[in-house]
Amino acid sequence: MNSFFTPAVAGLSAGGAYAILGVCAIFTYRLVAVVNFTGAAIGATGTFVMVALYEHGAPVLPGAIAGILAGALTALIIGLVMTTWFAGANASTKAAVTAALLVGIVAVGLRLTGGQHPHAFPDLVPGSAFRLAGVEVTNAAVLTVVLAVVFTVLAELFLARTRTGLQLRALSERPMAAELIGIRVRLLALGVWAVMGAVTSFALMIIAPLRSPDFMSLSLLVVPALAAALIGAFRSFRAALLGGLMIGIVEGLVSGLDAFSQYRSTVPFLVILAVLLWSQRGARWDEAR
Amino acid sequence: MKHASLRAALNTALSVAVIGVLVYALLPNYWVFLITAVFIVGIALQSLGLVAGRTGMISLCQMSFAGVGAWVTGYLNVSGFPGGLPVWIVIGGLAAVPVGIAIGLPALRLRGINLAIVTLGFAAAFDTVLATITFPGQTTFTQVPRPMFFESDRGFFIFVVLVYGVIAVGLEFLNRSRLGASWLAVRHSERAAANAISVPRAKLSAFAISAFIAGISGGLLAGYLGTLVSENFNMMQSLSLFAVATMVGAHFTLGAILGGVLITLFPELLRRLNLPQDVGAVFFALGAVQALSTGETISETWARLGRKLMPKRKSGAARVAGPLPPPAQHAGGTALEVKGLSVRYGNVVALKNTSLVVPARTVVGLIGPNGAGKSTMVDAIAGFLPRYEGSVLLDGQAVDALSATRRAQIGIRRTWQTTRIAPELRVGEYVRLAAGNISDEELNAVLQWLDCPTPEALIATVDAGTRRLLDVAGVVAARPPVILLDEPAAGQSYAEALKLGERIAEIPQKFGSAVLLIEHDMDLVRRACSSITVLDFGQVIATGDPQTVLALPVVQKAYMGIEVEEAAA
Repeated sequence: MNSFFTPAVAGLSAGGAYAILGVCAIFTYRLVAVVNFTGAAIGATGTFVMVALYEHGAPVLPGAIAGILAGALTALIIGLVMTTWFAGANASTKAAVTAALLVGIVAVGLRLTGGQHPHAFPDLVPGSAFRLAGVEVTNAAVLTVVLAVVFTVLAELFLARTRTGLQLRALSERPMAAELIGIRVRLLALGVWAVMGAVTSFALMIIAPLRSPDFMSLSLLVVPALAAALIGAFRSFRAALLGGLMIGIVEGLVSGLDAFSQYRSTVPFLVILAVLLWSQRGARWDEAR
Repeated sequence: MKHASLRAALNTALSVAVIGVLVYALLPNYWVFLITAVFIVGIALQSLGLVAGRTGMISLCQMSFAGVGAWVTGYLNVSGFPGGLPVWIVIGGLAAVPVGIAIGLPALRLRGINLAIVTLGFAAAFDTVLATITFPGQTTFTQVPRPMFFESDRGFFIFVVLVYGVIAVGLEFLNRSRLGASWLAVRHSERAAANAISVPRAKLSAFAISAFIAGISGGLLAGYLGTLVSENFNMMQSLSLFAVATMVGAHFTLGAILGGVLITLFPELLRRLNLPQDVGAVFFALGAVQALSTGETISETWARLGRKLMPKRKSGAARVAGPLPPPAQHAGGTALEVKGLSVRYGNVVALKNTSLVVPARTVVGLIGPNGAGKSTMVDAIAGFLPRYEGSVLLDGQAVDALSATRRAQIGIRRTWQTTRIAPELRVGEYVRLAAGNISDEELNAVLQWLDCPTPEALIATVDAGTRRLLDVAGVVAARPPVILLDEPAAGQSYAEALKLGERIAEIPQKFGSAVLLIEHDMDLVRRACSSITVLDFGQVIATGDPQTVLALPVVQKAYMGIEVEEAAA
């Protein structure tokens, strides 16, 4: 029993981070209609700003805040590119743009952070919260899961209950029409990007010490993030939350099995494959007539 | 047609040969070695150009396919498989095919973005697997030997250029075949493509061939470097390849070479300028974003400027258009019958218990005001609605369970209100895509019958009204039992519309098909149709011969907005 339970709990904090990233991916998709491949890279930028400040002797908290702001700023710049040149582009083109930008961001990131060069990652939330059936549950795990749930609930409420949320939904469905009825399309879109950048940065800061913390590995967390978003069909925040947690836990379980532990990074891919094969039972066509 | 693809293939072969000979004869060994890599990367870029550039699907795992080919090549080498590198790279390419198909499967019905996600996921997963299992011979430093006669660096250059040339020429033929046209059609509109070809087959064939070519490039890389490490095929390589392919337009032969030059020689240039080499990736990212924002790749820009500079070539010899072949013999009686058809979009009832009969070899008009449900009816008959109540019968057989593509294959063909022809196609390629491989005489005869441009004309140079005629040409040339025309005269002048009306009236006699015509132009309808059905608010309000039906007060009220009293007054 315990031999399964321990690795599953170990996967919980990663799962929480996947869930946050997945919810962020849906957030961007539903509000600015972009499937964002740079999500985790934006978070990695924020995280490494914090690490750089920490290594230069800055205290953790201001460093973390500066990192979150840096993440928001990076996201804002990408948002500027998207809203300036690709406001009217189709979803596929926008996805291609973010995929291309990912190459550039990772290249710059690897250069500035010295590639695989090890860095000192501060534990933002050290220590363990409680013991569950004899297994330590870390504060980081609790925090990521709580954060994921809070962000999911906030995103749902924001979209369903607020006037800005309604305007944003209009913006993502028909940007031109939204603009014509007087919605400040660009400002709102940039706001979405900034929020997304800040949240992703914070999520990655918490789990960075648990991963192989180079810029590229952190940027590639976009794969489990998008897998989680796919489980939510890029619509349902709750499903993405559960999906992200599930991927983390399954990854934890797989790394608990000696024969397969090296292959745990294939879990998100297998999830993507399964979800897509399942979701295309009925025919779908591009826009009518 | 055949001549055109031969000429294009010859052009490609010649330009590759000229570049190869110039490099071989003029440059020192160091540069020849470096430029070998240009062509290997060029092959990988061509494979990506096929899926991304031609078929419009984002693939972010092309180097993983190459990795499969390289791994198999290394394995065959270590296990002492006979035949040497030329055989191994082909087997390596074939080994990548099932992988490509498996990755393509989730994208059969879903569009681009999902494919981008699944390919990125595969690239990430493949990275892990490759780093764990390592390349065969990597730990023992077993070199992959080069083929006989091509052992030296200069010799291997010739081998690589030969492989590049064979692939480029093969792709040139493929691109101009019906399969190649189907890829462009899928990229432009899957909905329209489904009306003529099987979309899943087009997508899977693109993925399979692309994976094969990528696998070959991986095998060549194994011969080039001797030993490989997993970093040669990691995700960043795939992403950079995607960025460069987007920037240069890798589905053009010279675009692929240009991309190879950028990927291989740009780091060399940066090295000589004492700049960090990863600046290259940033440059590629910006270049790709720039190309995406203008919608034009470097290859296309050059081709456009080239066309401006070159003197215009005289258009080909006068067409030899024979008479149209005799009409197809379809079963008599009722060709198409719609029974009790109802369609709902949420709470909106678009069609309510509508019925309609189109007898064989006649033209039936379907008219009604905007929003009456005419196009919904066509969508339902052609199989583009997820669900409807009632039944559609072709020659008395219910087709309700069949997909849109299957219905098109057994003989229900349609056109669209807005033209959906891929602009990169030529007129002849489009008609053959729609109608199957018809002879040159028949192609010319159909085009002349409808006053369409020559088969060599590029669709991008044809005006919108004429493109609508090409839509009609494509479906009539297929000679199906039933043709659905959705407002074919929209965008035509009055005189053209009248002429089109005459042509449509002739379709049953000349091609043997029955026609259901949706049209707002009443003169055209009167001229073309032998009977008319009128829809209003999703219900049939009148059916009969044109003169009687159009004179009915209820029709005039619904359609012309004339009140009965006013009409009487």
